[in-house]
Amino acid sequence: MTTIQQPRILGAGVNRVDGPLKVTGQARYPNDFNLPGMAYAAVVRSTIPSGRIRRMDTTAAEKSPGVLEVITHENADHLGEAPPSFVKNPQPPLQDDVIRFYGQYIAVVVADTQQNATAAARRIEVEYDRHEALLDPHDPRAERIKDPWGEDTAWGDVRTALNRAPVMIDQTYTTSENTNNPLGLFTTVASWDGDTLTLHDSNQWPNMIQQVVAAMFGVPRDAVRVLTPFVGGGFGAGLRCWSHIPLAVMAARHVGRPVKLELTRPEMFTGLGHRTASINWIRLGATRDGRLTAIEHESLTTLPLDGDEYEPCSSVSTWSYASPNVTTRDQQVRLNIPWTNFMRAPGDAQGNFALESAIDELAWEVGLDPLEIRLLNYAEVDPKTGRPWSSNALRQCLEVGARRFGWSERNPEIRSMRDGHELVGYGVAGVSFFWYQQPCSARVIVKGDGSAYVRSAVTDIGTGTYTIMAQLAAGLLGLEVDQVEMQLGDSSMPVGTAAGGSGLTAALGSAVHDACGRLIQKFVDLAGTDPFSPLANVPFEDIEVSEGRLFRKGEPTRGESLARILAVHGLTELSADGNSTPNSPEQLGMTPAGARGARFVEVRVDEDLGRIRVARIVTVNDGGRILNEKLARSQILGGTVGGVGMALFEETVTDKDTGRIANATFGDYLIPVNADIPDVHIEFVGEPDAFNPIGVKGVGEIGLVGVAPAIANGIFHATGKRIRALPITMDMLMD
Amino acid sequence: MREFRYERPATVAEAIRAVSHDPEADFLAGGTTEVDLMKDGVFHPDLLVDITRLPLRGVRRNGTMLQVGALTTMEELAADRTLVERAPFVVEALLRGASAQLRNMATIGGNLLQRTRCRYFRDPAVPACNKREPGSGCEAVNSVARMHAILGASPACIALHASDLAVPLVALDAVVHIQSEEGERLVPLTQFYLMPGETPDRENVLRHGELITAIDIPLPPPGTRSIYLKIRDRASYEFALTSAAVAVIMDGGVIKEARVAMGGIGTIPWRCFEAEEVLREAPATPDTFRSAADGTIRDPFVVPGTAFKVELAKRTLIRALTEVTS
Ligand SMILES: Cc1cc2nc3c(=O)[nH]c(=O)nc-3n(C[C@H](O)[C@H](O)[C@H](O)COP(=O)(O)OP(=O)(O)OC[C@H]3O[C@@H](n4cnc5c(N)ncnc54)[C@H](O)[C@@H]3O)c2cc1C
Ligand code: SF4
Repeated sequence: MTTIQQPRILGAGVNRVDGPLKVTGQARYPNDFNLPGMAYAAVVRSTIPSGRIRRMDTTAAEKSPGVLEVITHENADHLGEAPPSFVKNPQPPLQDDVIRFYGQYIAVVVADTQQNATAAARRIEVEYDRHEALLDPHDPRAERIKDPWGEDTAWGDVRTALNRAPVMIDQTYTTSENTNNPLGLFTTVASWDGDTLTLHDSNQWPNMIQQVVAAMFGVPRDAVRVLTPFVGGGFGAGLRCWSHIPLAVMAARHVGRPVKLELTRPEMFTGLGHRTASINWIRLGATRDGRLTAIEHESLTTLPLDGDEYEPCSSVSTWSYASPNVTTRDQQVRLNIPWTNFMRAPGDAQGNFALESAIDELAWEVGLDPLEIRLLNYAEVDPKTGRPWSSNALRQCLEVGARRFGWSERNPEIRSMRDGHELVGYGVAGVSFFWYQQPCSARVIVKGDGSAYVRSAVTDIGTGTYTIMAQLAAGLLGLEVDQVEMQLGDSSMPVGTAAGGSGLTAALGSAVHDACGRLIQKFVDLAGTDPFSPLANVPFEDIEVSEGRLFRKGEPTRGESLARILAVHGLTELSADGNSTPNSPEQLGMTPAGARGARFVEVRVDEDLGRIRVARIVTVNDGGRILNEKLARSQILGGTVGGVGMALFEETVTDKDTGRIANATFGDYLIPVNADIPDVHIEFVGEPDAFNPIGVKGVGEIGLVGVAPAIANGIFHATGKRIRALPITMDMLMD
Repeated sequence: MREFRYERPATVAEAIRAVSHDPEADFLAGGTTEVDLMKDGVFHPDLLVDITRLPLRGVRRNGTMLQVGALTTMEELAADRTLVERAPFVVEALLRGASAQLRNMATIGGNLLQRTRCRYFRDPAVPACNKREPGSGCEAVNSVARMHAILGASPACIALHASDLAVPLVALDAVVHIQSEEGERLVPLTQFYLMPGETPDRENVLRHGELITAIDIPLPPPGTRSIYLKIRDRASYEFALTSAAVAVIMDGGVIKEARVAMGGIGTIPWRCFEAEEVLREAPATPDTFRSAADGTIRDPFVVPGTAFKVELAKRTLIRALTEVTS
């Protein structure tokens, strides 16, 4: 019963099961919660990047209308250390007078209304002792961390191979800081009831928030309940326990009332981390006919003063293409900047831009079609270990994409295609995305009427987890999708992992798969105790499920409905818990491959004005088994838009003297608007992946990756200008 | 936001009186500038006088003139038939501005009075801003300035006047009707805005309590061709990096008459008299256009972030001239 059946349900583009709730406003997001007696909090942020608070005058704020409490480092509760969760979480706020970045929380004001809290917060006066700040990644005084995760990699002999290579590319590629900017303003509503705490909170990992908050406030984990059934997007922003959360909890404890803390858009820029800027040095060695002989990839990314971050930009060079000699190294530099953090495709997005630009440069250098060079260097097996891939349809992505796009119709010469004032260029990029999975659990329950519900603490950040898990459970239990009720986003449910790393579908899906298997087993065992059951003495392997019934394979009439089995045994429900842990590559003898993809774009550049327009995009992806094509397309489409943003618009700009983010509003931080996005052709290829029982790879992030280099490569084809820095703006293209 | 009082008088006279007698009072039209800046903590009026119900809304044809009530919204003006026919570049400037939602709220009077988008002006946590705190300095000059001005700018202030609408309106010599307790005065839009000089906090000739009641837009003669070309990073919903408003009367390949103004580059909406001089009676050729452009961008004041605008502005004007004359 462990095989996946029901193609009618699995893979079908069914509508979001939570769609009606969302469009009718019944889905309640954290900021929709208003509790009786609730007070409102507003934060105060530092306006220097480094130093100490000499004096804070809170008298005016305290006297301000409606103010209940002003908390600074002088009267804040002493909180316990924040445990790490995969990466470090920010240590508790307001514990000392040290300023580590511009925008750090230095006080929180609680009042009867949001307006009163905000007005009072502006009345707090602060004097600082300013220290010199480290803001430039090249500052020699800044701490450098080499090989931060012990993942620097080397095989073969890159030095010699580069020295001997007849063709070499040696270039530097940079990407700028980007900010995640989920639309929903992150909000925490904290309410204490004695020693137990309930949080309505925007995040991507309720159990992690639960654990960190419990540790900080010195209460047992079970005393904290985190509710996140809906969140207004994340893109990675919700993967840590950010400091506004303990501030809200502390504030609620101080005033003895529930407290709502909703960040403003500018506060979202400093309070939730952002994608680090990156510098990538790449050296490629190749034969005259374009075969890679060496890849050397080094990266430098940034870190806040007291945090960490996993952003291995160079890793993509270890699994994307076949090369006998490879070296990758990552370095980080600590600065007085707001936290860097995961943002959709962390590390991969930046590293892929560098690698796919360099591969393109190599193609032009050796006179090979940029598509051909990628096919030529396709890695048949994991180049690092020589093990076979769990699946890898990169080649198919490239070939199918090229056909859909009409790649062969291009004139290969640079500056050869034009339309009026516009130079036209075609660009391609390949994508090999990382693989990621964490342990997860779920409970599946069948009720007396034969319908089921599925529970897990994980949250659906808008990707469609509710829907695809309902489909999966329905498929495995032989039910209709609307017979499965999903209950997610509650830390008191079976422990779940993060909605991040494109790994939730595999993690939760495998747990649901496990639970459904166990549950069917329980039903079969139960039926076995009933001598009159048609299923008595049927071995488990021979059981099939369909239309809410268990029956013997090939004998549909020899069976019994789930509801009947429960009724016969006087049960109102039957449940089973399922767990998943990632398989081991060694045991399975294969390397898990994340999703694969190819991007083809047509760009148009106004020759005089430098204005850039993306005219067409074809994106083809291998996401293993696609559980719901409609939702998977949404993920790819959203990712593509993010990729256009990264390529042409998005840049979190920091003032060089003060460390202040200079464009922390939607008026100033540009994300693409509809008019910037052309028709996007989306297609899936590939087979169910062999590394997890449900065959999925996760498609939440890959859509973004590769769009930027495809655009940059297209711009080169159009104009002959190689731009190695993102975002690419018109001033770079004006002759 | 601090507490403030709110009044909604029924007559123009009452509205003017209410603001005139309270130095901390502001008019409130669509609120898309005023309320934004209040929320950001830049403006803190103690009284808002809501003028949106005053009878100052609508467009009237008056001979060769369109008289536009100050409270006409951007969308309403953009839909005016006469304007679409006779001066389409005004309509283009309107519709390339902001978003449909904003244009349904925003008024013509408010548009001309919108404040700069300079982020250092809009963030009270930044200490140095001569426009917000006279004498405090200018943070933008030494910082990140892409959306800033290169003409009329000085180390004291490089803030851009970001209105799109004002650009074709200065080209057409629109006239502003200003009402105060003393009576009405008429000021040509070309003389309405003030160069920042040493007093960037003073942006125009309005005195406290004076109300804009209407704008007269002279209609160019039939047969005039016009264009508003707006260049920006995004395809929509963004202010101009550079823009050009051009109206010409052609006679074969010769430009008989030209009106030119530029946006995205000036501390005030920039009327390009030198360009008009070059263009008048000149053949519509690339050479003519280039010298018109060179004549416009004279003695720019640039910072690293705005340096590219010198050439971009010239090419924008050349493109606009090329398109409108061909
Ligand atoms: C996100 C965003 C994007 C935008 N994009 C663009 C763009 O691309 N192009 C563009 O041109 N504009 C743009 N704008 C600016 C917008 O057009 C102006 O904010 C709007 O036109 C102001 O009109 P209002 O009626 O809302 O003015 P209000 O905000 O009500 O008033 C503005 C100021 O003028 C005063 N005032 C208003 N009416 C009068 C009057 N009749 N007499 C005297 N004083 C008065 C008020 O006291 C206030 O100080 C954008 C604005 C936003 C928020
Ligand atoms: S440019 Fe003008 S508005 Fe901006 S900071 Fe300088 S003085 Fe203030």
